[in-house]
Amino acid sequence: MIAYLRVLAYLASLHVRSLFEYPGAVMLAWVSQGFSYVSVYTAIALIILRFDTLGGWGWPEMALLLSFHLLAYSMGAAFSFTQFRELEEVVRLGTFDCLLVKPISPWAYIVFSGFNTQYISHVVVAIGLMSWAVGQVDIAWSIPTAFYFLASLVSSAVLVACIITMLGANALVWVRSRYLFSTFFGFWELARFPLNIFPGVIQFVMLTIAPLGFLAYVPVAVILGKDVVLLGPAAPVLALLAGPVAVLIARAHWRFCLRNYQGAGG
Amino acid sequence: MYLSIAARAFQSRLAYRSQVWASFFGQTIQILARIAIWTAAYAGTASVEGVSLDDMVTYSILAGTVLAAWYYEALIQDIGTSVKTGDVAVFLLKPIRYPLYLFSSAFGEFAFRITAVVLPVVIVISFIYGLQPPASLFHGLMFASFWLLSFIILFELAATCGLLSFWLLTSFSLTYFLQGVIALFSGSLVPLWFFPPAFEAVARLLPFAWIAYYPVAVYLGQLGVEETLLFFAFGLGWAGLLALGIAMLWARASMRLIVQGG
Repeated sequence: MIAYLRVLAYLASLHVRSLFEYPGAVMLAWVSQGFSYVSVYTAIALIILRFDTLGGWGWPEMALLLSFHLLAYSMGAAFSFTQFRELEEVVRLGTFDCLLVKPISPWAYIVFSGFNTQYISHVVVAIGLMSWAVGQVDIAWSIPTAFYFLASLVSSAVLVACIITMLGANALVWVRSRYLFSTFFGFWELARFPLNIFPGVIQFVMLTIAPLGFLAYVPVAVILGKDVVLLGPAAPVLALLAGPVAVLIARAHWRFCLRNYQGAGG
Repeated sequence: MYLSIAARAFQSRLAYRSQVWASFFGQTIQILARIAIWTAAYAGTASVEGVSLDDMVTYSILAGTVLAAWYYEALIQDIGTSVKTGDVAVFLLKPIRYPLYLFSSAFGEFAFRITAVVLPVVIVISFIYGLQPPASLFHGLMFASFWLLSFIILFELAATCGLLSFWLLTSFSLTYFLQGVIALFSGSLVPLWFFPPAFEAVARLLPFAWIAYYPVAVYLGQLGVEETLLFFAFGLGWAGLLALGIAMLWARASMRLIVQGG
């Protein structure tokens, strides 16, 4: 097991090293990504500062929601997004066949050999905003609260990685899967906002079929002591369960797709 | 010849039906979200700065769709890939101008997305929420002109970023940078009239405001006849300046092009 983990860490380190062969491009990517998120958050802040609240959420609470959303997403996406977005190309070119004969799980190989350090700027922006927001909002911090905060963050990150894995895995059966990510990011943008501002249908979809409501809204609303739409008192437990349940579903979906993989040539 | 390139770009999009459905679905969700955001913001408020919730619903529909009418990120990535792979050298051998080829191809995609994505999205959402008519026939006609100008300026900004990858050898960062600038300064998320006064004064003069803010502000009648014509002329000035910049960048880029192995 330890040897296996060492291989995974080695694969990740090789990818990181290859990225840093172009240090200027890496630095520019970090700066531009950070700038892009700061711009969007500034636009959202302008709305809230002009109207005072958005669905009962003030700017410090929204800042906590946005930072939680970005941090959980970047933690999950570092292990999944670019890897599974490119999977259709791997399938189309036939190179996925090579992964099937390697003495390592294809999923583990894809995830760790593509570990993406580009998300560092996401993490820096998220932690900076979160540090400010945590000091502004009214949370009665205790050890259980802090533990819940961290556990729900990990659960959200795992949820993101699982959804992206499932979307990408479709390429094994249908060859094309990249277009599904535009729909994913449609819901991902919605997940930046309190779910209570959306119509009931969208709330339902965001907590079931496209469960990105669990990415930030549910855990942050629980931490802030706000009522959670549709879930009510079950919200604290469901926020923690979202990640592990997503793992089980994603694992079954990945195995199904792998069993039905025939290559792009049919 | 360039018309033919635009027509082929239009036709080639027809092959990706699943992408059209995904774009339609994703775009509808995004606009519904923006309407929900403004509805929540306006809760209990009839009007802010003389702008009503109905105005903001129309603003959300039009600003969202104007910007969605063309996927500018793809242009920057395509130029970046052409530079990386060396494919861009092929255009030096052909009797066409690379920037004009890009524009024709982008225009074909723009026309396709208006037909296949934008109009259906506007019709569906207008049916649910109601889209206000333009302030007058003049404002309606000028909205169409501003929309075309919006596409031209957006293309020029994206092409400028794409051509910079000849020097920076990365298009990824430039895409994010442009996304950030457009998110804040184009008015696609927040109309400039909600900006703090000093911020608004600067943002109104930058070319990004012609991408989403001015077309929709004109449609809603926020600008009088003289102001509309003045800002249209100002926008044409920006378009001309950016075109000049692209021509200079391409001239320099083609002179310094070194393809791997060459």
